[in-house]
Amino acid sequence: MSAKPPALLTAPTGTVFDIGYQNYTGVREGRGRARRAVFKNGLRIALGLGRGGRAKALPWFFIGLLSSIGLVMALMAGAAERLAGPGATERLNLPTHSDFYGIASTILFVFAALVGPELLCRDRREGTIHLYLVRPLTGSAYVVSRWLAFFTIMVGATWLPQIILLLGLSMGDPAPTAYLRTHWLDIPRFLLAGIAMAAYATTLSMLTASFTTRRAYASVFLVGLFLISAPFTMGMSQEIGGMAGQWISMFSLTNIPVHVNDLIFGEVSEITEDAPARLLPKAVLLGWYFVWTLVPASLLWWRYRRMKP
Amino acid sequence: MPSGEPLLRADHLTKQYGNVVALNDVSFSIQGGITGILGENGAGKSTAIKIFLGLIRATSGSVTVLGEEVSEGVGMRARLGYMPEHDCLPTQVSAAEFLTHMAEVSGLPPSTARTRAADTLRHTGLFEERYRAIGGYSTGMKQRVKLGQALVHDPAFVFLDEPTAGLDPLGREEMLTLVRKTHREFGISVLFSSHLMADVERTCDRIIVLQGGRLVQSGEVGHFTKETATVFIEVDSNRDRLTAALEQRGVVVTLDGGGLTILGPDESVYDHIRDALVEAEAPLRRMAPRRRALAELFERDGGTA
Repeated sequence: MSAKPPALLTAPTGTVFDIGYQNYTGVREGRGRARRAVFKNGLRIALGLGRGGRAKALPWFFIGLLSSIGLVMALMAGAAERLAGPGATERLNLPTHSDFYGIASTILFVFAALVGPELLCRDRREGTIHLYLVRPLTGSAYVVSRWLAFFTIMVGATWLPQIILLLGLSMGDPAPTAYLRTHWLDIPRFLLAGIAMAAYATTLSMLTASFTTRRAYASVFLVGLFLISAPFTMGMSQEIGGMAGQWISMFSLTNIPVHVNDLIFGEVSEITEDAPARLLPKAVLLGWYFVWTLVPASLLWWRYRRMKP
Repeated sequence: MPSGEPLLRADHLTKQYGNVVALNDVSFSIQGGITGILGENGAGKSTAIKIFLGLIRATSGSVTVLGEEVSEGVGMRARLGYMPEHDCLPTQVSAAEFLTHMAEVSGLPPSTARTRAADTLRHTGLFEERYRAIGGYSTGMKQRVKLGQALVHDPAFVFLDEPTAGLDPLGREEMLTLVRKTHREFGISVLFSSHLMADVERTCDRIIVLQGGRLVQSGEVGHFTKETATVFIEVDSNRDRLTAALEQRGVVVTLDGGGLTILGPDESVYDHIRDALVEAEAPLRRMAPRRRALAELFERDGGTA
C-alpha cells in the first residue's frame, strides 16, 4: 500500500512574480553622498574590510602593534606604581603620554607608508578612478575624501594606544579620579598631537601614492625616506654643527611632527632630545611642520584637480 | 529636461590635441532610443563620449546633455551612466559590494544602493555570482559588471564604449541582448560606441558614423542596413547554372571566391534564390546574409579607411 504524501508537499504554496526592472524615483543625494561614499570606501580599503585576509593583515597588525606599545607602557607604569608606590612613574621617569608619539613615530610612519598608498594607487592601476570621475564627483573631491578616510584611520591608530595608556595609568593609580583630575590636560594634548602626527603622515603617504600606480613603489620610497632621513640628517648635523647643523636636522622627516608633539606637551621626547633642531625657535619648528604638511597637501589636491580619465 | 528636446545635442564640436584634430566641426543630435556611434579606432568616438560626459572640454562648439550645458557642472552626471572600453574594475571586492558603492557614489542612499545593486546584478545575469570577488570573473562577466555599474543608479542616458570588446561570439551576443534590453525593458537611452558595423546594425535604432574626427553619415539604421546588405550563397556544384538561373530572374549576382554574392537584396530575392536553386539543381551548402565591411562604407563615402 502506497502512502499518500502529506498535503503540504503537494499543495501549491505560492507564485513568484518577476516585477521586472523598476525605475528609481527616490531621492538622489548628489555630491555630498558621493563624497561620503568615497570616504566610507576609503575606510574599508585601509582596514581591509570586505576583502581577503591578506588585505586585513597589514593594517590590523600595525594597529595591534601600536596598541601593544600603549598597553606595555601602561603595564609598566602600573607595575611601578604598585611596586615603588604612588608617583613612581614620574620619579622613575617612565615614558608617558608625551613620549608615546616619539617612541611610536617610526611604526606610525611605516604604517602610513605601507597602508596609505593603497587608497589611491589601486584605483588608478585598476582604472576604477575613471568610474569615479564620470560620477557627480570631481578629482579634488575624490582625493579629499580619500585623504580624510586615511587621516581618520591614522587618528584612530594614534589615539587608541594613548587611550589605553590613559586607562592603564589612571587605573594603576590608587586614586584613579584624582589621577585624572591632576593629569586631565594630557588628554587634549595627546589628541592634538595625534592629529598633528596623523595629518603629516597621511599627507606624505598620499602625495607619494599620487605619483605611482604601484603601492609597493610608494611604500618602499616612503619607508626608505623615513628610515634614512633620521640617521643621515643626525650624522650631518652633528658633523657640521651650529645653525647650519640645526637646519639640516630639520630634514629628519620622522622628527618634524615629534617637535610639534614636544611643543604641545612642553617637554622634549627621547627621540628629539639629541636633535639640534629642537634648539630652533618654536615658531620655526611649527612653521616647518606646516610647510611639510600644507605644501604636499596642496600639491596632492592640485594633481587630482587636473586629473582626467 | 524640456519635452521634445534631444537627449544630446552637439553643435560644431571641435577638439584638438596640439596639432591633432580629434573631432572636426561635428554637429548632431540624439533622441531617445539606442544610437550607435560608429567609427574605426582613432575616429573620435571616445573623445566625443568624454566631451559628452564633461571629462574634457571641447576646443570649440557646445554640447548639451539632458538639456544642460555640459560645462556647467558635474551634478548632471548623476543621471548619466558610462561603461568604459578599458579595464576599470577592482579585483578584490565582490560585484555586489562594488555596485552598491558605485550607486552611492552616484548619489543614492546606502539602503537603496544595496537594493538597486542586487536588482541590477539580477538583470545583468550575475545574481548567483554576486558575492564572488570580481578578480575571479571571466571577461564576459566583467563586461556585465561594467554594464551593471553604468546602470545601477538608473540613469536617463548611458554611454557604452565598445561593450563587446574582447568577448567571444556567445558573450558578444549576450551583451548585445543586454544593450537592447537596457532601452526596451529598462527605458534607458543608450549611446553605443563600436567599430563593428554588425553590432551597431543589430542593436541600434540610429547610427552616427565618424571617420577621422568628421561626421560621415547619420541616420536611421534601416537606411544603412538596406544599403550595405548582401546575401552570400555557397553551393556544392552547378554554381554557373545557378548564376544563370538567378540572372534570368533579374537578380544581380557577383562571384565571390567559391560562392555568389547578391547585393542589396529585398524580401523577394529569397524566393528567386529558392527557385533558381531548384532549377539549377545546385545543392545548397550555405546561405547567409552579410553586411559590407565598415571600411567599404567609408570608401564609398570618399573616406580612406
